[in-house]
Amino acid sequence: MRHLTRLAAVAALGAVMGTGVVAQELFAPNLSYRTGPFAATGIPLMNGQRDYMNMLNARDGGIGGVKINFEECETGYSTEKGVECYEKTKGQAIVTQPWSTGITLQVLPKTNVDEIPILAPGYGFSPMADGKVFQWAFNTPASYWDAASMMLRYIGDENLKGKKVAFLHLDHPFGKEPLPLLEKKAADIGFELLPIPVGLKEMQNQSAQWLQIRRERPDYVIMWGWGAMNAGAITEAVKTRFPMDKMIGVWWSGHDADLKIVGADGKGYKSISFSYPVLDAPVMADIKKYVVDAGDSLSNEEEMQGVFYSRGLVISMILAEGIKAAQAHTGKAEISASDLRWGLENLNVTDAVLADLGMTGMVPPFQTTCANHTGHSGGWMLEWDGEKFVKVSDLLQAEAEVIQPLEAATAAEYATANAPWAVSETCN
Amino acid sequence: MLNDIFIKPFVDMFAAPDFLLQVLWEGLVSGILYALIALGFVLIYRSSRIFNFAQGIMVVFAALTLVGLHAMGVPAWVAVVLTLAVMFGLAVTIERVVLRPLVGQPDIILFMATIGITLFLIGLGEIIFGGENKVMITEQLGIPTGSVVLEPWGGLLILEQKDITAVIVAALLVVGLLLFLNKTRMGRAIRALGDDHQAALSVGISLQTIWVLVWFIAGIIALVTGVAWGARAGVSFALEVIAYKALPVLMLGGLESITGAIIGGLMIGMLEKLFEIYWGQPLLGGNTETWFAFVLALIVLLFRPQGLFGEKIIERV
Repeated sequence: MRHLTRLAAVAALGAVMGTGVVAQELFAPNLSYRTGPFAATGIPLMNGQRDYMNMLNARDGGIGGVKINFEECETGYSTEKGVECYEKTKGQAIVTQPWSTGITLQVLPKTNVDEIPILAPGYGFSPMADGKVFQWAFNTPASYWDAASMMLRYIGDENLKGKKVAFLHLDHPFGKEPLPLLEKKAADIGFELLPIPVGLKEMQNQSAQWLQIRRERPDYVIMWGWGAMNAGAITEAVKTRFPMDKMIGVWWSGHDADLKIVGADGKGYKSISFSYPVLDAPVMADIKKYVVDAGDSLSNEEEMQGVFYSRGLVISMILAEGIKAAQAHTGKAEISASDLRWGLENLNVTDAVLADLGMTGMVPPFQTTCANHTGHSGGWMLEWDGEKFVKVSDLLQAEAEVIQPLEAATAAEYATANAPWAVSETCN
Repeated sequence: MLNDIFIKPFVDMFAAPDFLLQVLWEGLVSGILYALIALGFVLIYRSSRIFNFAQGIMVVFAALTLVGLHAMGVPAWVAVVLTLAVMFGLAVTIERVVLRPLVGQPDIILFMATIGITLFLIGLGEIIFGGENKVMITEQLGIPTGSVVLEPWGGLLILEQKDITAVIVAALLVVGLLLFLNKTRMGRAIRALGDDHQAALSVGISLQTIWVLVWFIAGIIALVTGVAWGARAGVSFALEVIAYKALPVLMLGGLESITGAIIGGLMIGMLEKLFEIYWGQPLLGGNTETWFAFVLALIVLLFRPQGLFGEKIIERV
């Protein structure tokens, strides 16, 4: 019996050690993907996230005097491993960051029961914007439907009417996510939408997809690519001589390293983005001083100048601002998952806040509410100039009047299909 | 519907013969690369009865080593030689550490061991080279990167010079391999081991030497495949999944046949492209390449369980 008691004590200690949680820390695990076919896009994002949190820990002693334990659990972008990571880390976590639309969809019902906020900035299920239905899910500051809407707005209704738009996408929940909005807009504006799926095994060999594009002669190609699919598509586009200025990718298809493979041949390629690297921003100087110079960064100089690293910083900033808001609201430093939900529902990242954070121009201002978990920040169109991405538009906004009814209807369908599903009646 | 299946595709082929040629060319390039990966599997299977699950990661590992060495300032062709040395070292290590202790164990144990090698190489590769997408040193290796544009029947046919180079190099590699297997003492020893293990051992053929040799040859093939695929869309761990495309090639061609690997690879490369373009995209919404090759291989297995070129095994009881 004594032996069993000892074993139980060791097991309990091991469980606590396993989550890496010690007193006076907020446990904010990140379900990262630094390995596997999508690692190329994952690494700079994870490095940016990690460096921002390390900077807060080193410069400010954490947030509100409490250090952030930003432990990573590697998923390799596999949905099964992602669910395992969620289960492993949920015990002490104040948030879960699933980093894949597939994982997000799998853990969405679980977080509703476990009452842990999902933070999925710029990815996941677009109707998560509806905070009344998805009380624990946040895709701040912009959703995939926002992205699709902004891309179509940038092209312009007059340029789309009667035209053909190829939708080249990963054959995965992530790639299919904008289809409802694109189909609706195709019917409203009157353009032909041609979905072209790319299988996981074909990401680096898209000759069949690009032969179809050559045969169908679309006026535009909208790309929903991630990981190795991006480089595969862009090299095939160059090879097929598709005009680069008619090709627009979602924000996960705007990775500097993918475009460097084609270099100057990729000039004119565009990508919508809710973030932008500002290399002389004060936050970059602080990261250099407190993280890079201290030898705590996993990044490198070239990567730190790219769009994805910068987006990683923005994503951690969103979490950090949520924690700050929750601490201010509750008056306690060690907040719970439930407190963080309140914080993420009451974000108000204005120009003044961004200036204060040293992040002016790195993300548009946005505000969330109990009913609006996205914030709909808008975004900028970026263009590859042969060496780097540059901004080529003013701030673009998604069509709220089209997206919000679609969000509400799809969210309601989800709640019905997953009944009993707790819906909040208190939001206005 | 019948028109869409049986008539329209052929009308489309004849209406745009330049496009048909482009489809066949893309299929040929894919097919020859599938064949190369399948060759790696076949060589190891013939000599040791091991289904080498690690062939895919060997492609990634070889390509990453080449790019990584060049990034460290090693001239391109010196990096190629050093990469071959690394692949030789890998072959020796695998033989000494993994295979030799497992001699005599059931085939499934050896297969599981190659899964272990795969996971080890993934981890080692990620630790040494990181998971980022890397640019293949195409120009530094002297591989031309332009295009040859032809206008057959007044149409358009674009042939990438790096694809032409890949096809030529792959063809030379296959010819060299066949000459080696048929005309040299070591090559005949490999074949002898494939034909009858016990008989080969009884005449003094060294199992250890042959295993190192075939794993090294598989490493050379992996390097050529990695350079060819990497030149198309960069070098990353995503290349590993392309190796799974070799499985239907092996089912179709037979696990023991070098001819089967080559013809099976070319058949699958071209047929899956033709099917995708003329039937899959118009009728099934596309992305049929993920399953077409497997269905084709299964149909062949219904009639020839040993594959098109595999040896028929008759066991008397």
